[in-house]
Amino acid sequence: MTTNTASDPAAADGLRPVSGARGASVLLQNLSRSFGATKALDGLSIEIAPGELVALLGPSGCGKTTALRIVAGFEHTDTGSVLVDGKDISAVPANRRDMGMVFQSYSLFPNMNALDNVGFGLRMRKLGAAERRTKAGELLDMVGLAPQAKQYPHQLSGGQQQRVALARALAIEPRVLLLDEPLSALDAKVRLQLREQIRTLQQRLGTTTLFVTHDQEEALSMADRVGVMLEGKLEQIAAPDELYERPATAFVAEFVGVMNRIPGELQSDRLVAVLGGLVPAAEGTDEAPGDVDVLVRPEGLRMELIQNGNGIVTNRTFLGSVTRVSVLLSGDVTVQVDKPSSEAAALPPGTSVTVSLPPEPVIVSARRSATP
Amino acid sequence: MAAVVRRGGQGGLGGRAVPPRSGGSGGSPPRVNRATVWRWVVLILAGVYFLLPLWSALRFAGISAFGSVIGFAGFASSLWLSVKLAIITTLITIALMLPTAVYVHLRLPKVRRLLEGITILPIVIPPVVLIVGVLAIAPGFLKSSDLLLALEYVVLAMPFAYRSIDAGLRALDLKTITEASNSLGAGWTTTLWRVIMPNLRTALLSAVVLTVALVLGEYTMASLDLYQTFPVWIYVNSQTSGQVSVAASLLALFVTWLALMLITVLATRQSRRTGGGQVSLFTVTARQETRGN
Repeated sequence: MTTNTASDPAAADGLRPVSGARGASVLLQNLSRSFGATKALDGLSIEIAPGELVALLGPSGCGKTTALRIVAGFEHTDTGSVLVDGKDISAVPANRRDMGMVFQSYSLFPNMNALDNVGFGLRMRKLGAAERRTKAGELLDMVGLAPQAKQYPHQLSGGQQQRVALARALAIEPRVLLLDEPLSALDAKVRLQLREQIRTLQQRLGTTTLFVTHDQEEALSMADRVGVMLEGKLEQIAAPDELYERPATAFVAEFVGVMNRIPGELQSDRLVAVLGGLVPAAEGTDEAPGDVDVLVRPEGLRMELIQNGNGIVTNRTFLGSVTRVSVLLSGDVTVQVDKPSSEAAALPPGTSVTVSLPPEPVIVSARRSATP
Repeated sequence: MAAVVRRGGQGGLGGRAVPPRSGGSGGSPPRVNRATVWRWVVLILAGVYFLLPLWSALRFAGISAFGSVIGFAGFASSLWLSVKLAIITTLITIALMLPTAVYVHLRLPKVRRLLEGITILPIVIPPVVLIVGVLAIAPGFLKSSDLLLALEYVVLAMPFAYRSIDAGLRALDLKTITEASNSLGAGWTTTLWRVIMPNLRTALLSAVVLTVALVLGEYTMASLDLYQTFPVWIYVNSQTSGQVSVAASLLALFVTWLALMLITVLATRQSRRTGGGQVSLFTVTARQETRGN
């Protein structure tokens, strides 16, 4: 389990946590939840270490939000339980769970200014007015909104509102912070800034955080570990680099990052005949010998400029230091290959090239009729 | 009797000259806007339609009748009964309709249409049917108390109160702010009191004014139940002293109008402060958009 939370906080930026509070451990145990005939969660189990940020990533309807809402106490489970610091809280109502939550839609109370919004949770904890104001002010300062303390939600921008919502959730020093796609309503630039701010604060305070998103870039850049979900089940949970480099299933491989699907043939000796060569199938491949698809990332393919090669360059997309080159292979298969931009300059559309695979294990998946 | 409260926006009816656009041709005289002319025509016609009967009533009653109204037999007691009924009815109506509307919005959104239908019933069922039914089943102790009429008025006020509150709730992201409040440690009652109600202030004020206006003006039920409320007293006295009863009617109208003006002022003030949607008696516009990102 990768946890890069505890060591780096306060000292680095000279800031001090609001209190010495640290996050709790969270265990989601075999959670199942159905809505009518639809199974939103199907035996989901995740363990989150104290201070860790785990992102749940998946397509719409995969059950990630349901899981978060169960942890928050807004949904109940059909089976399974949620344990915080080893204690089963499944029967504890939402208002007694001590969890801060930031919602996807703007959730500030319209009748309260920013300071009162942040102080609301403290008021519920019976803090005196002066103490409440001081602490709420500190929190607003922490998210860089001290000058907006007296402004009402409608006077704040979307990004500012979400920062106030974050300050409000953190003000109660929650045992667990729950983030329900808090950045999805914001524009790209603000999203990027707020993403960094959330991560910095979370690491500084060491708050255990469960973060739900459908944006893989967000999940991969912020989380200690990312759990990829599909149809109510956890496909894989791993550190971002592991998830990218060693996806456990074809779905994870294709959902995270860009993946080529190239037709091949799996032989009985677990070698795959693909692109005119033989490469070993990855460990754990359970496909039967026969027609399969090989999954390879754009940076995992080799490409050489050769007359009468096996493909023709059809398009180039400049991505900065690398350029993604689209190559049409025989059999009407298009693959994408990343090349350093300096080399890709010599590959205009129409150039004949040969695409091949290095002799490294490849992920093998059942043959799909249409190529992506 | 409850007239539409919210008036046109500032300058909507005003005959202010439209300032010439800067950089315009400048020389030609400003054209008379046809829309402005029509606004004035409609305003004058509506004014005549509404004010002429009032002016006639005022002329008929005479200023001196207003002085003698207060000392008239039964005036104070009937007015007090009506005020008492208005207070009790309002309290019961809000206490019933607010949690119901909130609960339906949060937990039973599919039932909303059904509830809307049910709340319409008191409007389509004639009051006499309601009275006969209530009198047949009401226990004895209720029949001898003011509470009976108040409970009947609660039924009568239900469509107006429900619609006002429903309109206010639609303008809020109720689910999210309720869950946000819960996650911060607030229970159901605290959430209702500190988060939902302050954001429904305008809608609740609308519900209150409509209920009060309805109770102060209701005649049929009170008369059939043999209560001498203020409207019943006005009717009874119109048989013997027409001028006094007309003066009392005008007074009642003036007080109601004042109340409606008050709600408009309060609603506008709240909207300016919190950026909430504009709520008049039956209409709610969306909350102000957040500015940019």
